[in-house]
Amino acid sequence: MTVINFFIYLLTMVGIYGLLAMSLNFQVGFAGLINFGQVAFFCIGAYTSSLLATKIGIPLPFCFVGAMILSGLFGYLMSIPTKSLKSDYWAIATLATAEVVRLIALNEGWLTGGPFGVMTIPQPLQFLFSRDSYPFFYLILVLICVLLIYFALSLLSDSPFGRDVKAIRDEEELCLSLGKNTRQIKLQAMVVAGMVGGLAGALFAHYITFISPENFRPIETFLMWAMIIVGGRGNHAGAILGAVIIQLFNVSTRFIGTYVPLSPDSMASLRMLIIGLLIIIFVSYRPEGLIKEKKKVYYPKSRP
Amino acid sequence: MEFSQIVVNSLIRGSELSLLAIGLTMVFDILKFSNFAHADYAVLGAFLAYSFNQTFGINLLISIILAALFTGLFGIGIDRILFKRLRIIGVKPVSLMIVSMGIEIGLRNMLRLIWTSEIKTYSIAIRKPLEILGARITPLQIKIILVGFLSMIAFHILLHKTKFGKSLRAISDNRMLASACAIDSEKMITWMWFLACAYGVIGGTMIAMEHVLYPRLGFDILIPVFCVTILGGIGNPYGAMLGALILAFAENIVLALDLSWLINLGGFFNVNSIQISTGYKPAISFVMLILILLWKPTGILRKK
Repeated sequence: MTVINFFIYLLTMVGIYGLLAMSLNFQVGFAGLINFGQVAFFCIGAYTSSLLATKIGIPLPFCFVGAMILSGLFGYLMSIPTKSLKSDYWAIATLATAEVVRLIALNEGWLTGGPFGVMTIPQPLQFLFSRDSYPFFYLILVLICVLLIYFALSLLSDSPFGRDVKAIRDEEELCLSLGKNTRQIKLQAMVVAGMVGGLAGALFAHYITFISPENFRPIETFLMWAMIIVGGRGNHAGAILGAVIIQLFNVSTRFIGTYVPLSPDSMASLRMLIIGLLIIIFVSYRPEGLIKEKKKVYYPKSRP
Repeated sequence: MEFSQIVVNSLIRGSELSLLAIGLTMVFDILKFSNFAHADYAVLGAFLAYSFNQTFGINLLISIILAALFTGLFGIGIDRILFKRLRIIGVKPVSLMIVSMGIEIGLRNMLRLIWTSEIKTYSIAIRKPLEILGARITPLQIKIILVGFLSMIAFHILLHKTKFGKSLRAISDNRMLASACAIDSEKMITWMWFLACAYGVIGGTMIAMEHVLYPRLGFDILIPVFCVTILGGIGNPYGAMLGALILAFAENIVLALDLSWLINLGGFFNVNSIQISTGYKPAISFVMLILILLWKPTGILRKK
């Protein structure tokens, strides 16, 4: 039974991080926006949904929607400086922004519970299931969300909007010269990514039922980065594959830890050391990731 | 807090930060990417100095010099293994930045693996602080200010009075032209890494000596250092020094400010003094970084 429970936990976390990786991939792989503060969406989503549920007590579906709206708004805020900043300056700014968000969660105890976090977060439809079967239901809920978002993002990236987004990544000046409002397109891309990230945060909060600022350290952003670098940028399947690989590695080494004569702290640092090396090796030797982006060819190469 | 105390504290923090910032600004200027691992190189040096001093019983000053040498060689080694290859292939600076992020995670966790995440302090005899114009300052802090000041003068002489400095400035201005004038840019880049790391180690060790040493210190000083570098203008070491002083001053003064006048509105209400919680101290540099990026991303001092 414990093995099954463990797999259900693993798959649920893969699903939640898959959403986060897809959201980051939409920014990095499609729009070319180097976001080092992805964890902010996760944090805002998780806190919004859990605070709406515990402090105000509105029905849970509205909490999820609220989380998505607020993270989407935050995506809008984060996109404002892209008009004047070069990509690496913006990356530094996002890293700082995510830390500011975490510090607010840590210090505004009247709202967020400070370092103690939010406890006893209600779970959706809990009364319908027994204690043992509930995680299975939640896993299905998460997987449905992943599938829905996967199809929604696929549709979006094949639409004219998606082509505009990719064109900005490749040649921003060209887009400007064609009369595209690149700023607005980037803004819309950030809002979409923020909403997906917020949904992941809400799903995480109602699954774990206890969140604290410790869950939203910058290292989470780097885990998501490892996912899209290993899996491959510019396609949604790559993000999911990356989430599966990195979460499998991350969670299973925690499991193995009980059989290895290493302290949990050493195990954790060894794990992150390997993830750091993975990022370096992939960027250096296989920059496109495991699943390569399929570039659509709109006309045959040998034209008559 | 006494005003003189604020000045003294800012001088100490400013000396530490400017030593770290000149390395970052050099790498940014010459290799055109933001090195996220810079602060972690410095912390590696601080740990080495700790071990030389505590385990092998070497004099602290000599330990710091040895640590600076070793970390300089380490920085050169990383450049040879990773960055040089990518530089020759000619990847985008963004990829270099992501590789440096991988190094940052890997290195920090390697430190945690070797030295554990236990908090460490250098065994420095605690002396009675001196009083200068109402400000309290320990002999260690006086040494920190002195070392910072002397290192800066040494750096200035190196950059402007030697052939080495001239070549370094030449490749920063125009790599192609410098190569045409028989300046070996790869050799200069090697020396630049050595200098950047060695100066970083001095700054990092001083921060660790004044407070405590732990593996995550690298991340805690990374954003302030970025803030200082951008505030001073990328590629301008004097800007970095000025930026360090400004940030240090801002950090100390914001926490000492009394905001009650904002709410009292000239006697309408009577609220006791309101101060920003010290939990927000790290946030000052983050917010300042974001504001600078929004207001003047080129920094206050234009590059000469």
